[in-house]
Amino acid sequence: MADDARYPRPLVDADNRAMLEAWREGRLVLQRCAECGRVASYPRPLCPHCWSERLGFEAASGRGRIVAWSLVHRPNHESFFAEAPIVLAEIALPEGTNVIARVVAEPESVRSGRPVEIVSEPERYPLPTFRLAGEGEG
Amino acid sequence: MMPRDIGILGYGETRHVKRTERTQFSFFAEAGRKALESAGLDKSDIDGIAVSSFFLAPDNAVTLCEQFGLSVSWAWQFTAGSAGPVAGVIDALHAIDTGRANVVLCLAGDVYSVARHYRLMENFNHSLYNYAAPHGFGGPNGLFGIIQRKYMETYGLERAQLGRIAVAQRQCAMHNENAVFRVPLTLEEYLDARIIADPIRLYDCVLPCAGADAVVLGALDRIDAPKRVRVLSGHERHNHLPEEPCPLSGGWETFRDRMWNEASFGPRDMHFVQAYDDYPIMVAIQLEDLGFCEKGEAGPFLDAHDLTWRGDLPLDTNGGQLSAGQAGAGGGLMSVVEATRQLRREAGGRQVAGCERGVVAGYGMVGYGHGLSASAVVVERGG
Repeated sequence: MADDARYPRPLVDADNRAMLEAWREGRLVLQRCAECGRVASYPRPLCPHCWSERLGFEAASGRGRIVAWSLVHRPNHESFFAEAPIVLAEIALPEGTNVIARVVAEPESVRSGRPVEIVSEPERYPLPTFRLAGEGEG
Repeated sequence: MMPRDIGILGYGETRHVKRTERTQFSFFAEAGRKALESAGLDKSDIDGIAVSSFFLAPDNAVTLCEQFGLSVSWAWQFTAGSAGPVAGVIDALHAIDTGRANVVLCLAGDVYSVARHYRLMENFNHSLYNYAAPHGFGGPNGLFGIIQRKYMETYGLERAQLGRIAVAQRQCAMHNENAVFRVPLTLEEYLDARIIADPIRLYDCVLPCAGADAVVLGALDRIDAPKRVRVLSGHERHNHLPEEPCPLSGGWETFRDRMWNEASFGPRDMHFVQAYDDYPIMVAIQLEDLGFCEKGEAGPFLDAHDLTWRGDLPLDTNGGQLSAGQAGAGGGLMSVVEATRQLRREAGGRQVAGCERGVVAGYGMVGYGHGLSASAVVVERGG
């Protein structure tokens, strides 16, 4: 995986450290508010729904469903050029939030509505990344 | 409510160019001088400044005053991406109304390029830097590709319907000497263009370029009645809708009823629309959110109207950013300049005959998935 280090990487901070460390171990965790019970799309210093500071990370199913997607022929960073086109998708997670993430898949197979699951190579991808899953698994 | 005795007195614009040796200050200087001349005012009249630019740092509104030898009592600086310049006009009018300044020079622009665009968007804010760039998101093209596909699949919109926007605007740009693209564009060329972030293709994207725009604001009785442009109403909205990465609507829907009520006009009374056209899909969504048609009806609505300056719904009559180019934050003020030019009947070969009023919209500050900010003003000619 000589390519990994060249991908742009998120800045690790106090808000996102737990999420990024979990991903390094191949786990998807989401930030849930202990007061209102809702989930944030990406880690925050306070609940974006109710402004509570009682936030915690919990294990997510790692599954979701593609809401819509684009096929990026011209990625922002040169480290992705050899892999273009890249599938970028809005993914609805059953935990109750939508995220934007890469789906590693043959573009011809990608459809809105298809179930996805997290990939098993967290060392390669800087952020939780998805692949197509079988129907019924989403 | 907007003050009715204060408005736009003059406008200025530089040519849009793909490459330049000139500084950002040089473009601002040219646009500012032209706006002042258009207003018939003197440099010594300016006592307020509002500036919008993505690449102004480490400079700011105050150090710009030093460059230009201005001493001002009010200074405003850019926020909200390219919704910002329209919001800056609203703020400047209120500043004049409350005595903070008498004459405000509003400037917007950047020495922008494709390379600068990608660098800017990777570092635009923490959410894009941390949670989009590491996915190879392709800048806004990738994000708006998601929104366009979602819209097409939700409402049945076809690319040929969006293409009507790009093709009509190109016809306008052929009469705009400041535009970067002035050769005809056919619907077939639009449909078959190189894929950038499918479903977004080349002519769905703006070309980053260098340039600047300016307007001068002040008491309307400073100039002759036919040259006066009044801002009847104006609003802005930021972070609409929270926690929804790819919404099929923008902040305009939150204030449009209030905006039309305050203006005492509605969408059907508008003689032109200067929409924010970072992508045709956002023009379609904007037309819905501003009340020109119902949500989901933009496709048939586009089919039903002639969008050129000669048509029944003149849209982005300078060619928009799609054909005139996007001079960074200048894209958010270019529309105000064009509206002013049209209302003063100074638009030459693309003049909308007999236009009396129109609406101008801004949009920008792309965050986690979409543009967070929307703004709009209703403007009227003279009197």
